[in-house]
Amino acid sequence: MAEVVLKHIEKLYENGFHAVKDLNLDIADGEFLVLVGPSGCGKSTALRMVAGLEDISGGDLFIGERRVNDLPPQDRDIAMVFQSYALYPHMSVADNIAYGLKLRKMPKSEIQARIKKAADMLELNDYLERKPAQLSGGQRQRVAMGRAIVREPAVFLMDEPLSNLDAKLRVQMRAEISAVVRSLGTTTIYVTHDQVEAMTMGDRMAVMKAGVLNQVGTPQEVYDSPNNIFVAQFVGSPPMNLVQGRLEESGDGVTVKIGEATLEVPASVLDERPGLRQYLGKDVALGLRSEDMEDASLLKEVPPNATLKGTVTLVEALGSEIVVHFDLPGEAVVTDDTKLVAAEIGGDDAIDVGHTGGVKWVASFAPRSRVRVGEDVTIVADIERMHWFDAHSGEAIRG
Amino acid sequence: MSNDNGPEFLGKNPDGSNPGSRTNNDPDLQLAVNREGQVLAMEELAETEGSKAPTRSAPKMSFGRWATQLGWRHAVAIIAVLFALFPILYIINVALNPVGSLSASCPPSKTGISALTCLAPSTVDFSNFTAIFNDPLKPFGTWFANTLTLALVVSFLSTLMSAAGAFAFSRLRFKGRRPGLLALVLLQMFPQILAITAIFILMTSIKEVFPLFGLGSVWGLLLIYLGGSLGVNTYLMKGFFDTIPVEIDESAKIDGASHVRIFFGLVLRLALPVLVVVFFVTFTFIFNELAIARVLLPDLRDTTLAVGLNTYVSGNLQEWGKFAAGALISAIPMLLVFGITQKYLVTGLTSGAVKG
Ligand SMILES: Nc1ncnc2c1ncn2[C@@H]1O[C@H](COP(=O)(O)OP(=O)(O)OP(=O)(O)O)[C@@H](O)[C@H]1O
Ligand SMILES: [Mg+2]
Repeated sequence: MAEVVLKHIEKLYENGFHAVKDLNLDIADGEFLVLVGPSGCGKSTALRMVAGLEDISGGDLFIGERRVNDLPPQDRDIAMVFQSYALYPHMSVADNIAYGLKLRKMPKSEIQARIKKAADMLELNDYLERKPAQLSGGQRQRVAMGRAIVREPAVFLMDEPLSNLDAKLRVQMRAEISAVVRSLGTTTIYVTHDQVEAMTMGDRMAVMKAGVLNQVGTPQEVYDSPNNIFVAQFVGSPPMNLVQGRLEESGDGVTVKIGEATLEVPASVLDERPGLRQYLGKDVALGLRSEDMEDASLLKEVPPNATLKGTVTLVEALGSEIVVHFDLPGEAVVTDDTKLVAAEIGGDDAIDVGHTGGVKWVASFAPRSRVRVGEDVTIVADIERMHWFDAHSGEAIRG
Repeated sequence: MSNDNGPEFLGKNPDGSNPGSRTNNDPDLQLAVNREGQVLAMEELAETEGSKAPTRSAPKMSFGRWATQLGWRHAVAIIAVLFALFPILYIINVALNPVGSLSASCPPSKTGISALTCLAPSTVDFSNFTAIFNDPLKPFGTWFANTLTLALVVSFLSTLMSAAGAFAFSRLRFKGRRPGLLALVLLQMFPQILAITAIFILMTSIKEVFPLFGLGSVWGLLLIYLGGSLGVNTYLMKGFFDTIPVEIDESAKIDGASHVRIFFGLVLRLALPVLVVVFFVTFTFIFNELAIARVLLPDLRDTTLAVGLNTYVSGNLQEWGKFAAGALISAIPMLLVFGITQKYLVTGLTSGAVKG
């Protein structure tokens, strides 16, 4: 058991590529930290530096009390699970699991006991004599886990361990890994680019972009108050809806103009974000999650100056909710971050069918909603839960 | 079935069976495979389960069906075997004939096809065999020992050294890695014989200071062979090592394995098929190599089999009987090496191509 501390960690590859920039992380003893970010953002590089598989170009890395920058992997008291499992193909499952223990000259009886314990925990008892090639993907994954847990290391490092599994197995193994790791109480750093894994598995999540750590916090914190447009869009599915708005003073209140619509900004919002006053008369980027909208026709009373109008392009009835894609008249927020997220998500959210101009938004309505494709819809937006970002820097507007 | 003969991530069928060592339950197919070795083994692989099924479910099939579905394989197999065996029968016949001339052991027949009369030995006489072992000017025993030593030592050292070099090129990052690789690619494109003059001069000068490794010494030739084979072999192995996932090394490193252990315990173990191929190819090459050996070991009393046997048939006096007897004996080590390594050869030669 140990805490892991990264202080100003840098990675500069030989070809001059700056893959990790000034990474600071404090991972508490026994904590499960998920490192998440789009492809190529340096997650694996960071993890491999902690493992000792990659040299650290700058900064200090502590595991427990020790500074381990210059220690080889085997002396860092860590175990790693690879995306490809990296099982030894010529050894049986039992030998795979025992390899690290044998190299450490552990007594035979102790090795047997640990294999037994790990096999019980991971339900591998029937496969101990098999070779990796004779196992299914999920079983191989478990062997890889077993190999890590028998070592009883201070830290587990996992690099996208589930990404080679099919969707169903992934859900099952996700729960299983969480349970195993929690029952052992070992400090864990888990790299993924899967949304759901990031939200559900970790005590905290760390969001990286292009080598820079953007935000660290519990999944709910990160979801509820993202630091910038990138985090807002990257965390959560569907990604947060964004649109350009203009803050204006009207009488003794403040309004925000989105396309043709004008919404009143309640005083509570302004009190919470004093910085907003500096944006009066300027453009801001507005973010709203799909669940913070409701079909106006379902509400008994519609609050004045809190509605948006749009044209429905797609309706997906999911039973418990109705997901409505609509075009919102207004100007899209286009920054490098929104492009990056669009590229990362790709495919199914880039729905273009029946697009009528404006900004593509997604709302989730109560199942009673009767909206239909092609119709106009009036939406009540929960302005209290609206997210405000600087239109240029993409940073959240707060203090 | 055994899964011990090679890394499982190479050349595997999705069902987990290993094509190289696949066991065959069909007696007819077994026969064909045994007679013709690899060729049919490969053919049989190409066969899908679907087309094999009817032959099993219908034990009594008509001759026509048998001929079209299985029989043609036997025909092809028999023709191929005859084609391969013909020169061997011929040589056996010549070796067992004391007269020692080609025309005597294969007298022209009335049809004019003298070769066909050679297929069965007309006499059985071992005088050629005793003769080659009792000629002090042409000591067959010494030739044989020399060649076997050369072939075994060079193949072994070359395999080990090129594996070490290939491991470095494949796994380690060091200054000069790229130029080194390029040099390897370039070097292995030119046959060593191109440098024969340079080698000759080199060995002549080495002889003056260090006779043990100079011109006329088996050990000198050994070094030349070793140097010549390293380039190709290292390059070949590097390609294979690159197909072994690096994560396996890294995982072992985290598990606490040293470089040495990773090299001997994991990489060499997983690369066994290619090691065997390299060993076998080097072994055969050295057994057959004539040009360099003739220049460096010109003294017939201490030379290699290829050089020595060649003198039986290249002078004015052509002693085909002794030549054939010598050739037959020389084939034995090669057959043995093939027999031992055969299991790995089929997977080894193809496994670089497909990565399962
Ligand atoms: N050996 C290397 N030399 C130079 N650049 C490298 C090297 N390895 C990785 N990179 C670069 O560093 C960046 C980060 O790579 P890394 O593997 O950490 O990404 P990642 O966040 O794990 O992405 P993914 O989710 O696709 O695995 C990438 O842009 C990659 O191109
Ligand atoms: Mg990665």
